[in-house]
Amino acid sequence: MDQRFVRNFSIIAHIDHGKSTLADRFLEATGALQAREMEAQVLDTMDLERERGITIKAHPVRLNYTSNAGQAYVLNLIDTPGHVDFSYEVTRSLAACEGALLLVDASQGVEAQTLANAYLAVEDNLEIIPVINKIDLPGAQPEEARRQIEDIIGLDGAGAILASAKLGTGVAEILEAIVTRLPPPRGNREAPLKALIFDSWYDPYRGVVIVVRVIDGVLRPGMKIRLMAEGQDYDAEQVGVFAPKAVFIDELGVGEVGFLVANIKKISDAKIGDTITETARPTPEAFPGFKELKPMVFAGLYPVEGHEYPELRDALEKLRLNDASFFYEPETSAALGFGFRCGFLGLLHMEIVQERLEREFNQDLVTTAPGVLYRVTTTDGKVHEIDSPAKLPDAGLIEKIEEPVITAMILTPAEHVGGILQLCQDKRGVQKTLEYLASNRVLITYDLPFNEVVLDFYDRLKTISRGYASLDYHVTGYWPSPLVKLDILVNGDPVDALSIIVHRDTAYERGRALAAKMRELIPRQMFEVAIQAAIGSRIIARESVKALRKNVLAKCYGGDISRKRKLLEKQKEGKKRMKRVGKVEIPQEAFLAVLKMGTDSEG
Amino acid sequence: MLGLYLHVPFCSAICNYCNFNRGLFDASLKARYVEALLSEIGRAGGAGRAGADTIFFGGGTPSLLEPSEIALIIAACEDAFDVARDREVTLEANPESVTEDRLAAYRAAGVNRLSFGVQSFRDDELKRLSRLHSADRARAAYGEARRAGFNNVSLDLMMWLPGQRVGQWLESIDCALALAPEHLSLYMLEVYPNAPLKDEMARARWSQAPDDDAAAMYLTAMERLDAAGLAQYEISNVARPGRRSRHNLKYWTDGEWLGFGCGAHSTRDGARWKNVSATEEYIARIQAGESVALDMRRLPATERLGDALFTGLRLSDGVDLSAIGERYGVDVWQRYGADLARFIDAGCLLREGARLRLTRSGMLLANDVMSVFV
Repeated sequence: MDQRFVRNFSIIAHIDHGKSTLADRFLEATGALQAREMEAQVLDTMDLERERGITIKAHPVRLNYTSNAGQAYVLNLIDTPGHVDFSYEVTRSLAACEGALLLVDASQGVEAQTLANAYLAVEDNLEIIPVINKIDLPGAQPEEARRQIEDIIGLDGAGAILASAKLGTGVAEILEAIVTRLPPPRGNREAPLKALIFDSWYDPYRGVVIVVRVIDGVLRPGMKIRLMAEGQDYDAEQVGVFAPKAVFIDELGVGEVGFLVANIKKISDAKIGDTITETARPTPEAFPGFKELKPMVFAGLYPVEGHEYPELRDALEKLRLNDASFFYEPETSAALGFGFRCGFLGLLHMEIVQERLEREFNQDLVTTAPGVLYRVTTTDGKVHEIDSPAKLPDAGLIEKIEEPVITAMILTPAEHVGGILQLCQDKRGVQKTLEYLASNRVLITYDLPFNEVVLDFYDRLKTISRGYASLDYHVTGYWPSPLVKLDILVNGDPVDALSIIVHRDTAYERGRALAAKMRELIPRQMFEVAIQAAIGSRIIARESVKALRKNVLAKCYGGDISRKRKLLEKQKEGKKRMKRVGKVEIPQEAFLAVLKMGTDSEG
Repeated sequence: MLGLYLHVPFCSAICNYCNFNRGLFDASLKARYVEALLSEIGRAGGAGRAGADTIFFGGGTPSLLEPSEIALIIAACEDAFDVARDREVTLEANPESVTEDRLAAYRAAGVNRLSFGVQSFRDDELKRLSRLHSADRARAAYGEARRAGFNNVSLDLMMWLPGQRVGQWLESIDCALALAPEHLSLYMLEVYPNAPLKDEMARARWSQAPDDDAAAMYLTAMERLDAAGLAQYEISNVARPGRRSRHNLKYWTDGEWLGFGCGAHSTRDGARWKNVSATEEYIARIQAGESVALDMRRLPATERLGDALFTGLRLSDGVDLSAIGERYGVDVWQRYGADLARFIDAGCLLREGARLRLTRSGMLLANDVMSVFV
């Protein structure tokens, strides 16, 4: 394909601003799929993605488009993940493009996620076409959205295209703008092969399928190729494009986007952001920006029934085939038995893994409170990375603890600024900037301890701003902090799986809130259950769950034993969702109580 | 010995909390139903008349059947089964549907035990439950039963009614004690999700007392009844010596019973089945000579064992583990002991030699204990 007639683009949008619907319209309009073949939102293929309306993985699609002037083009739509947990994947997807559509909901306006990704696109020198979507909705304010695009993001609002992806309005105009306003790929066909990996997944029949953008050179089946991060060589077996179904082709030329199958067994060998080159004629420099993805958020995953441990292990193994960014290792808890310490890119990623384990692998799980990776220097001068409260050394052996820090970008209507600043202060944040943008929007930038954000920041931000504030963040470093381990004792015994690491100054308050929340979540049992919060040997809060006095005592009529048996079975089934720790049955949600303390305890 | 249960699915009004198999009374339907019931009983007889020693008319409202109809049904039972002379024949009756003459006629027909659905001795509570009788009518009916010659009378009472406080419940207990019946059944009201009562409660803002109060209602009542000579013998039942419900005891002692009529349940020879529930369909099937049994299934040994244990635990005397173990060829404690230990620790359950029984406070948590056996 002549690279002059190739256009590679992404769609930058906040969740629910209509990205998937617009992508579907492109498929229809270019004849890639007949309308009747289409299921709604074809690009989001995983069930979970469809249910949550968010895209986790990028699926590129090749569209054949004939411009108004009659010229045939190949358009590669590179879908980007829509959540901050996957921001690295976003940067790699954007790096594979020359341009982007910036999709803004006409009634919601610009959100932090959009802003953050637009900045990324601008940094990458992408050409941006603003699109104002959902103009058909009663609450649509396209002119306000246009003003925000100018004032907040700094793009030329006059060039924004008005659209309704749902009704198909503006779709033709957008497609034409893609070929007229976005530049063709640069790159040299004669240069040594340089291709950027921006997605990969595991296919049980083919092994790892890699999605690439050819920067320079040509990628052909039969070539001996090298993945530069590890320096491993492979044979390129098959090369193809998604149109949107997989089609094998003879070559991927410079600027083109497609997939590669090269007998790679493990997804962790095909790292996103890595560069592929030809073994015989390697490119002198890899494509810039490659990073090893590291898990940021850690939690314990345990089977509810101890004997299901091997099944959980198998499930995790299978899941990891498809998701190299998540990590697990065996861990033993005195309270929960054998399980796994797992690392995730963020909270959403954690939820996704958890849901997939439950749904696809039928696992009944107990998940412990998520935490971050602390850096602990012990008195002997050694530095330890601590991913679990249980691994925190004794207080006496700790020289200092450092915690990861994020830089958070919060975009909010002006009236909520006060509440948000208060929240950020409560969360031990350090304000960096506060900018009144036009259109009544304020951009607040804060450095915040990542752990505080993991715990219950986002929900509270949404509550305080009545849903209007949006958040984007990235981890920027570590700072030292006086942190302590907060333990929860149930009937006098510490339950290791309930321990969390907190700031010394908020430990008391958190301990009280957590004990109170536990009292709500632990159902009454045959005996009184004492719940205590402690720091070291000092008890800082106590609560008790009174003993259960009665079940139902209804008439069991006329010898209907089967009915009674069914009722008992149902009762037993309910118990299955609980983990017995000592004598006490603790429901799964209690292990995540720390996430649910929310406003009722601290606000 | 078999127990025979006869279901009478008619009521003169539908109570707002009830989810039993019943419908509104209709004289012509009743006539056809009795006809069908007689043929079902007749069919069950067959070769080698089995022995039976209890007959129980339950409902619905069995006292809507005429004494002559009751007499015919008992006669049919006697034809089909070898009914012991020393039999217990119970009729459930609603206070508003009886007179002294009618009760005397039931007695003449062969009924020797009455069970009155009194539910409460407070008129406000009876009204909330949409019952048709008053407390005075219940007392009058009781007197009529005595005058008609009944010396074995049971009353049903319900606690934890909407808006009911502990003291109000105990008033009903005291009223019942004042009548000195031979037997009482005490239940806690369970408000089913689709019961009209649920909506009425929401509208009128009635609520049931806290669980702790419900437990107090139960425990205090049982103590008071014990002291008055009505000893608890089962989770929900108390009786004077020798006046336990022999029919209901079959359900709790791994016994056998046959149920006749729509929706009736049967357990015999390790099999269990249920008759079709809908009255018209039941009649039609009987008339067509078809079977009315549904869900007939032979119980696996583990299920029989579990059922024997959880039903047996309803009794104050509990279960004899060695007897049951012998019957089913297993070591019961070995199988369930580990799961039961925590209930013993919690004071819900006692193990005394071979016997396992619930404590009184454990009876309130019986479902938790019993789920070990399913």
